[in-house]
Amino acid sequence: MKMFRKHLGNLSRVSTQLQRNVVQLSTNAEASPIEETAAASVNEFRTAVANPGEHSALHVAKFYTIPVEQKKQIFTGGGLPKQYEQQIKTFTEPCLMVRSPALELLHYIKNADLTKPVVRYVLYGDNGVGKTLTMAHVLHYGAINDFLLVHVPWAPNWMKRPKEASNASQEGMLDLPFDAAAWLVHFKTQNAKLLQQLQLKTNKEYVWSKRESTPAGSSLIELVEHGIARIKYATDTTVALISELKQLSTAGQCKIMVAIDGFNAFFHPETRIFSDNKQRVTPDRITLTQPFLDITNYDWTNGVCILSVDKIAMTEGYMDSYMPRYLLGTQGFEHIDPFVPIHVENYTDKEFHSYINYYLDRHWINKTPQGFEEQLKFMSNKNPYTLMQLVKAL
Amino acid sequence: MAVFYRIAIQSSIYGCRSMSMFPKHFGDPLRKKDMEDLNKSELTKFYHIPIKAALNNHSDTVFSDEIKLKMMNYITKNGNKALARGLLSRTFEIIKRAQTERLHLSPTDKQNVNTNAEKLLIEAVENSRPLLQLTSIKRGGVNYQVPVPITKKRSYFLAMKWLLDAAFEKDKKVCLPERLAWEILDAAHGQGRVIKKKDDVHKQCESNRAYAHYRWS
Repeated sequence: MKMFRKHLGNLSRVSTQLQRNVVQLSTNAEASPIEETAAASVNEFRTAVANPGEHSALHVAKFYTIPVEQKKQIFTGGGLPKQYEQQIKTFTEPCLMVRSPALELLHYIKNADLTKPVVRYVLYGDNGVGKTLTMAHVLHYGAINDFLLVHVPWAPNWMKRPKEASNASQEGMLDLPFDAAAWLVHFKTQNAKLLQQLQLKTNKEYVWSKRESTPAGSSLIELVEHGIARIKYATDTTVALISELKQLSTAGQCKIMVAIDGFNAFFHPETRIFSDNKQRVTPDRITLTQPFLDITNYDWTNGVCILSVDKIAMTEGYMDSYMPRYLLGTQGFEHIDPFVPIHVENYTDKEFHSYINYYLDRHWINKTPQGFEEQLKFMSNKNPYTLMQLVKAL
Repeated sequence: MAVFYRIAIQSSIYGCRSMSMFPKHFGDPLRKKDMEDLNKSELTKFYHIPIKAALNNHSDTVFSDEIKLKMMNYITKNGNKALARGLLSRTFEIIKRAQTERLHLSPTDKQNVNTNAEKLLIEAVENSRPLLQLTSIKRGGVNYQVPVPITKKRSYFLAMKWLLDAAFEKDKKVCLPERLAWEILDAAHGQGRVIKKKDDVHKQCESNRAYAHYRWS
């Protein structure tokens, strides 16, 4: 009997549980580990200086926020790694850390004599150390300081997974019309405001077909828009645009910042594109390669070239080292020979600590037992990408 | 031959394989986390007793957690625990992304949003634990569905199993981590299919309360 009563007691407990409000939120967060500081923008790991031109050694390892409209202008067509984009979305603020390679590069650019032939800067480093984000930081500087941006977000995309390849007008060459058009759209979004301002004109007439041509003296925007509208001629338009840009900047009408991520893809021994006779094509037989090799040459002035060489721009069997000489090969190395190498490295202790603080501030790390930072440091080897992966599930 | 056979049977009955087990006086290995909770006098107890070898899936890192380990074991298929670990951490990432974004978009109710995926998982499991279960018992040639109380361990098992079942049931085009993440979030907020399932079980138990005495009579 006693047992029976006990059982009934159990049942009544069930019924009370059934009656509770189902929608009741039972997940109250505990008090956050860090006290919310009133002025979040001037934390010890943040800086309110949003202009990359003003960043100095004082701001190393601090985060600055890119204004939303500028981020939209520069990075809508790519330029930030996909996972970083995702992080920006979750944290609801586009933040970049000021790091020494970017500062070094900015220092060179600010003190460069633009009347001299262009200087080529080559970012290199191991996987996931932040080459692309360093480039993004410098691109932000360029966009603010009236540089026309000639930016290729990730060159290997053209060699590895093009949308479509078709035979070009030249014998034995291949066109990537859709990728070229996409790049033109990217160029247009990045530079729309500046192109309007500068009123740049073409120097010669371009004849596309019997009925279509762009006369000399038409604006660059018209040229770009023609390329976007007539996808068949997008590649030719890109070639024309870049040669125009070179001439215009040499004439002193504009200054240009060239930024090409994964530049070594242009010198890879082979691509994944097949020609008509089912053979893999080398990058020099892609028409899109030529203008970008042209603009990285030193035969023009009033500009800067920022190139990055990356292991993952190559395919298996060519990824043994991250050094520029290995990745570019003889031909590529000779192409950009007098260049300034900039080594991007893993986080320093200060940067690592600052990043952890940022993650804590954004409520991304929720478990903070004693010594967790040491553990993360040990496991990630202070590599930015590895840290990002590790922290995901914490 | 028959003699050997008998010996084999006897050894299986009387548990002659005790050689492979730790003797009873061995203590369980302690983790750093547990050691911090114990005070010094309690710790001194362990100085002079032999300790079992640590399990190879236990660790002292930030990444380890009891309930996470359990969940991982339930997700595992064909012994592929590395895959299960990846799936679970992906689940946690999705939960965290959803919650963190919600937190930052609405700064007013910061207290109401929990971004700790592990806490949310625990909450979800606690919310979906059943108290009773129906078992079929035969009395007078008729099978009755009799409500029976269950042990704590089994209730945890059922809760996690239901969470996973609900996740596996959904559209196959969506990946498991995503499905599981939404189930966990729902259950942690006291909604969703798992909670409904638990409530259904309880309701059935209540409607069958008249048969409860069949459990012992």
